[in-house]
Amino acid sequence: MNQKSTYPDELAIEVRDLHKSYGSLAAVDGVSFEVRRGEVFCLLGPNGAGKTTTVEILEGYRERSGGDARVLGIDPATGDRALREQVGIVLQACGVQPDLTVYELIEMFGRYHVRQRPVDEVIELAELTEKRDTRAKALSGGQRRRLDLALALVGDPELIFLDEPTTGFDPHARRLAWSTIRSLCQLGKTVFLTTHFMDEAQFLADRVAVMRGGQIIASGRPDELGGRDLRPAEIRFALPEGTGLGDVPEIPAESRELEGDRVIIHTRAPVRAAQIVTTWALDRDLDLGHFSVTQPTLEDIYLELTGPNEHNHEVQEASL
Amino acid sequence: MSTLSQRLIPQSTFRRDLGLVAWQIRYEQRSYWRNRGRGIFTFVFPIMFLAIFASLDKGQTISTRGNIAFNDFFVPGILAYGVIATTFVNLAIGTAILRDQGILKRMQGTPLPRWAYIAARIGSTFLIMMAMTVVVLGLGAAVWGLDFRAASVPGLIITLLLGTAAFTTLGIGIARFIPNSEAAPVVVNLMILPLTFISNIWFPVDSLPQALKTIAGIFPIKALADGLQYVFDPRHHGVGVSGQDIKVLAIWTVVGIFLMLRFLQKPMGDVA
Repeated sequence: MNQKSTYPDELAIEVRDLHKSYGSLAAVDGVSFEVRRGEVFCLLGPNGAGKTTTVEILEGYRERSGGDARVLGIDPATGDRALREQVGIVLQACGVQPDLTVYELIEMFGRYHVRQRPVDEVIELAELTEKRDTRAKALSGGQRRRLDLALALVGDPELIFLDEPTTGFDPHARRLAWSTIRSLCQLGKTVFLTTHFMDEAQFLADRVAVMRGGQIIASGRPDELGGRDLRPAEIRFALPEGTGLGDVPEIPAESRELEGDRVIIHTRAPVRAAQIVTTWALDRDLDLGHFSVTQPTLEDIYLELTGPNEHNHEVQEASL
Repeated sequence: MSTLSQRLIPQSTFRRDLGLVAWQIRYEQRSYWRNRGRGIFTFVFPIMFLAIFASLDKGQTISTRGNIAFNDFFVPGILAYGVIATTFVNLAIGTAILRDQGILKRMQGTPLPRWAYIAARIGSTFLIMMAMTVVVLGLGAAVWGLDFRAASVPGLIITLLLGTAAFTTLGIGIARFIPNSEAAPVVVNLMILPLTFISNIWFPVDSLPQALKTIAGIFPIKALADGLQYVFDPRHHGVGVSGQDIKVLAIWTVVGIFLMLRFLQKPMGDVA
């Protein structure tokens, strides 16, 4: 909280026209975005879209070929230690010393930082209390991932990079991890997330950006991405016995169709449409089975954005 | 905005970094001694060979070396092997594993300076080498009557230090040439084992063909074995420094430092 209010306008990450090429291949091809302090920013995209390359440039693991990048006001290509003091990194599939215990590892990594959180507090935050004295090599996949998070948090970082943090978690563990990440934001921390899970992005992210072919093709709030909030909603129900599609009253709708015995209506006025349909049914004492009203999900929008079309060279080449 | 980060983070001092090196050595030591597999490879093997050779020794002497006791040959020979096992073998295999498991990459993402991490790995290796030396020389002196002369202690220390320097830096530098950690034990032993048979480690090579002796003379294994055997050779009375062997070890230390720095210059993200 205090960080947020002291430097209200400060950007945690600022990226301008970022490029990274390997030979003639442009892995990152002119990417620009900003991440404000205290927000959860999520980078989405299919494999090979350039997500990991972008993140690793910001983490200081790779050098950019062009453009500009600032992380907490520091150039990640030269920032080195000052940056690493303030940044926590959870990489994909990254080992730890297998013969040290959870407690020892958190204690060991904590000492590297000038500012550090108490070891027991971090163990509790990562829900590893019962595994405190277990060696890293004896942990399960989910416990290992929680240890990764603990090691990223022990230096009390301002900014945390999470590369697919809940891969391999069961649904319960994912919920726990999500609430941990949410609680980081309440402390004024900034979170940069990459994920394959749309529900994760929907639940955690303040803003998302979708990458494909080394470029950002859409960005915005999860519920507004790709005009999601402006799309027609879908009303579905089973056609009551003894009625036809023509019996359903006139509704302000983009389309109405019958799929088997299911009526599917796309409308920009879902509240009014729902009322008309339900009133019609109640007045005639008809049973509307499987009645539902849904907005397009983030996943629908994502698949639409990243699906094959004339811009998607990789898919085109693969299908040739 | 860079002033902001400086305000938030107190400046690290060199003294604090030295403290971090000591801190890291503690954890490197814990890691090492808890991993039985690697301990057997590097620490137990030399001691096991010492016991095997001692059991074969029935008071033989070496005719090509003025009939000195076999003890005074094989104890320093196995000490040389022990130095190579605890430094070169341990670090080459260990570094390949750290690289393949992404531990080097993880360490690079922390504020621990890279030089401090490497210094701690070297410091920890040095402690393991010292422990092995104490055990081998202690057993050699107590059980097999190794001829120990106070006058040659400077030679012993110089030869051990230079040998350790050469094989430590080479061990880290060679990791570049190890394709993956599963192949590491094979690759490393392929580099070491054949040479040990022409390098005075297991038996005197005085009567081997000149060509083989010339090949062995290029590499640091024979230089280390010869240097240590010179220290314990009862026919010598000086400080125990064998100039030619020291020269070879010094050259290989320079090569080792060069290879190690090349390995360290590469960003660990790209290494993985």
